[in-house]
Amino acid sequence: MGSRDVAGSPASTEGRHRHLALACALAWALPGAGHWYLGKRARAGVFFCLVTLSFVLGAALHGRFSVRDRRAPLLSTLQVVACLGTGPLEIVSRSFLYGGPIYFLPEEDSILTSEGRRPNTPVGRLLRSRNEARDSAYGTAYLWTAGLMNLLLILDVFDIGIGRKD
Amino acid sequence: MTSHFLNLLIFSIIVATFFAFLTRNEPRARWRLGLILGGSMLFLSLALAWIMYPFPVR
Repeated sequence: MGSRDVAGSPASTEGRHRHLALACALAWALPGAGHWYLGKRARAGVFFCLVTLSFVLGAALHGRFSVRDRRAPLLSTLQVVACLGTGPLEIVSRSFLYGGPIYFLPEEDSILTSEGRRPNTPVGRLLRSRNEARDSAYGTAYLWTAGLMNLLLILDVFDIGIGRKD
Repeated sequence: MTSHFLNLLIFSIIVATFFAFLTRNEPRARWRLGLILGGSMLFLSLALAWIMYPFPVR
């Protein structure tokens, strides 16, 4: 009742695709918003609370807002994807932290020098200081989990949208 | 907040509730799955910690 059944609507295929794309975009933009758009209001509220709580705990506990590092391209890229899964909330938080939406480790810090891996740039130093905090491992787990949960929510919205799931 | 157990508890609750709501529609089934998932995460983590206890940290 009150649900927006994208799959069963009589509208054109193009219109259905647009609804589905909008639902998925909303799901990324705000945790739970895609479910809300499809009429799953109670579930949307729960998902919003869980993902936001996980993200806030992660940010507060010095979680690692990962950047792509040339020394470990695959792993660091996957970390960035996990972070970005949370949506604009992550981009805004990252901008506050690093002074901009920075997703790549500056080249000066990507190159191993004779001094070892000591960071030379503000981003590198900030990342190092957060990593060295006692609660950083917990924070990182919360932060990445928030992003990964939200990515699952986008897939769930897609499944609901095409009628594969209630 | 550096209590490992407290973080484990909060993390388990968040993840178990998430998957319970993601994969089940009936309240009873959600409770059941949430309790199984949360309990499993707690129990298995503590069991693993107990098994690893004799090993040196570094």
